[in-house]
Amino acid sequence: MVQGGVTVSLIRIQQLSVSYGTPPRPVLSDIDLNIEDGEFVCLLGQTGCGKSTLLRLVLGSEHPTQGHILIDGVEHHQPDRTRGYVPQKYSLFPDKTVLGNITFGPEVSGFGLLGHLLPRFYRRRREFREKAYDYLRRIGLHESDAGKYPDQLSGGMQQRVAIAQALMTEPRILLMDEAFSALDPGTRKEMQRLIRGLSQDLGITVLFVTHSIQEAIQIGSRVVVLARESASNGSSIVLDCDPRSGDSGLLARQLLDIMETSKETPSLNLAAVEVGDTQFAGF
Amino acid sequence: MSAGFLLIHAKPSRSAVLVLSWFLFAAGILAYLYAASARHRDNPEDRVTPTIAQMAKGMYDAALKPAEEDEAGEEATTLPKRFLGSMLWKDTKASAWRFGVSMALLFPAVILGLHMGLFPYVGAFFLRFVLFFDKIVALSLLPILFIAFGIDELSKIMLIVVGVAPTILLDTFNLTRGVPPEQIVKAFTLGASDFDVAYRVVLKQIFPRVFNSIRLNLKAVVLFLFAGEMIASTDGLAYRIALLRRHMGMDVIIPYVLWVALLLFLVDLSMRRINQWLHPWFREA
Repeated sequence: MVQGGVTVSLIRIQQLSVSYGTPPRPVLSDIDLNIEDGEFVCLLGQTGCGKSTLLRLVLGSEHPTQGHILIDGVEHHQPDRTRGYVPQKYSLFPDKTVLGNITFGPEVSGFGLLGHLLPRFYRRRREFREKAYDYLRRIGLHESDAGKYPDQLSGGMQQRVAIAQALMTEPRILLMDEAFSALDPGTRKEMQRLIRGLSQDLGITVLFVTHSIQEAIQIGSRVVVLARESASNGSSIVLDCDPRSGDSGLLARQLLDIMETSKETPSLNLAAVEVGDTQFAGF
Repeated sequence: MSAGFLLIHAKPSRSAVLVLSWFLFAAGILAYLYAASARHRDNPEDRVTPTIAQMAKGMYDAALKPAEEDEAGEEATTLPKRFLGSMLWKDTKASAWRFGVSMALLFPAVILGLHMGLFPYVGAFFLRFVLFFDKIVALSLLPILFIAFGIDELSKIMLIVVGVAPTILLDTFNLTRGVPPEQIVKAFTLGASDFDVAYRVVLKQIFPRVFNSIRLNLKAVVLFLFAGEMIASTDGLAYRIALLRRHMGMDVIIPYVLWVALLLFLVDLSMRRINQWLHPWFREA
């Protein structure tokens, strides 16, 4: 976006710090990050490094201790339609069918609480449903799945529906918080291809939180790594790169080195990373 | 076969389940019949344990004859008309009306609990007071209710509401707080307003559990209803039981108690079915 002759990034994170508790325990320190329109940014880091916190700050469901987050040059203080959201779990409303979940956004934002009392609502609902069926096909589900409830779907199908649900309101930004981490490896790969394809087709900006190096390198057009230098400091950005430029193997090594040295989560599996056809093992 | 077949890994057959589940009913009836027949052998005028024939006659009179306090009018000829003019129907109708009104008055408690759980200022305003109010023994308020609202219907209905509403309210509050925050955030990102989130996301999700909570509190509702009717009423099932106690009318009291249990069982069953029908997605834990 251009403001006063100057190009402004879609998401601008300026001097952002977050602390919790008393005495304050820093979680994030001095984060500066600009995300441009159409980028697919993977936010990578070990468990507890604050990457989900950063995502929630962009979402507006949490507020920084210091600094600002501007979306298109404007500060947003609570979640709204400008940013779609796909969490790891509880993505779907359990009381609504697949179709009900996908059309919820347009119905609620177009007609409000008592909108279904208006005859106009039922005319528009037909359009919403057609669009929902179109999304159902795009995410690889059948029309016969439309009447199912979330608990009748597999984890992968639930996340597909959650993505369609978020995209129905046509947000410019999609925020995904470890959205695929509960899925089996096969489904996870399918989902990575799906979201990459959808983001390119629709031209939306994605901020994707993951702790999988492999996932970040494979789907991100940019990888941002958060890490903590010492226990008394909050996490800051230690690497910000395009995984498609330069030697991706080298990048993988760099990422692993960073993750290895911070050693905050011994359970994290750093044993093997696969980039394209090359497998880097035993770092 | 080891003794383990009776323990955790046991898999009773359908017929075994059927026999076991009815066994205590049969044993209870047999024990009663034995005791009644023994007492009647000793004293044919015994009124404490009426025989089956006496209870059947008592119930027949209750279900097909008007109450003693009602003026004898023209006697109805058909069975349904006789039932509609009977003491049992009159008492059931009076208790059911109080019960229905009380249940309807629990709905505002659900709405308040929802708002307390979602809107921090509403929660801060009401929570401490409701927690305190919940600890007051409702029956101890009965004299105050009779003084404040008189001995008419209002005081009896208020007793039920005061006794049960705080429980339903706090249950709704806790269920609301239990909705994952991701769902609320997600709804906002889809364009929902605060009230859309409250009524279209949270209330819809928790309602089957709230409905269950009301169902599980049916006995408390009836308990307070009976307390009010026994103390100050001129009709109702509990009024009749209290009245017949003075005359040792066990031949009617026992069938009345079983009638109340049957009604409560039917209300419970209906509420379960309605809950399943309204919320096909809901699976009870």
